[in-house]
Amino acid sequence: MSETVLEPAESASRAAVDPWIPCLLAWLAPGLGHAYLGRKGRGAVFFVVVLATLGLGISSDGAAALIDPHQPLTYLATFDNLAVGPLDLLSRLATYGRIVYRLPEDEADPRRIELTDRLRKKVRSVTFEYGNTFLLTAGLMNILLILDAFDIATGRKD
Amino acid sequence: MIRSHFLNLVLFSGLVSIFFAFLTQNDSRSRARVILILGGSMVVLSLIVAYVMYPFPLP
Repeated sequence: MSETVLEPAESASRAAVDPWIPCLLAWLAPGLGHAYLGRKGRGAVFFVVVLATLGLGISSDGAAALIDPHQPLTYLATFDNLAVGPLDLLSRLATYGRIVYRLPEDEADPRRIELTDRLRKKVRSVTFEYGNTFLLTAGLMNILLILDAFDIATGRKD
Repeated sequence: MIRSHFLNLVLFSGLVSIFFAFLTQNDSRSRARVILILGGSMVVLSLIVAYVMYPFPLP
């Protein structure tokens, strides 16, 4: 694997950037971390691509994941949804009508029943699987963008 | 809501390939190459897998 060799001046200017700032910005809005690091065109493309993926997920009846302690994989799916940052609120509002992250454990809890009913309505949609795939992919894309912004800020990537 | 399987496949492949082209390449020419190869492979391989799976479930 080839490594990019940085000029001393370039390396020093990058070292001055706190790598967590572009990571936080990348989480807040896809591509913003790259724009902060001077890659505005690339950042704009990432913003459009992630937003389009998320938008297709919401419009195709994808459902934002909820943490269900009985199903450990839901932790991963919820984490992945959260990786798109505040935009995740849109998919939660579209799915459940409010901001919610956790399914109540008690099966008789009326909140759990209501949330499960809302989820079932989505599952019955013919495009539910496509929507879910788009939503999860948007989250995965933004995780890669956050890691990429970190690598650029620390000088590991040109 | 897009109900066409093929259109969903093309959109998904297009978005993912554009994303990886801009993530991994720095010049326009190599980005276009990645978009064509990655996007095209995703579409063609999915169609091949779909064709192979066509007889299933067996009667």
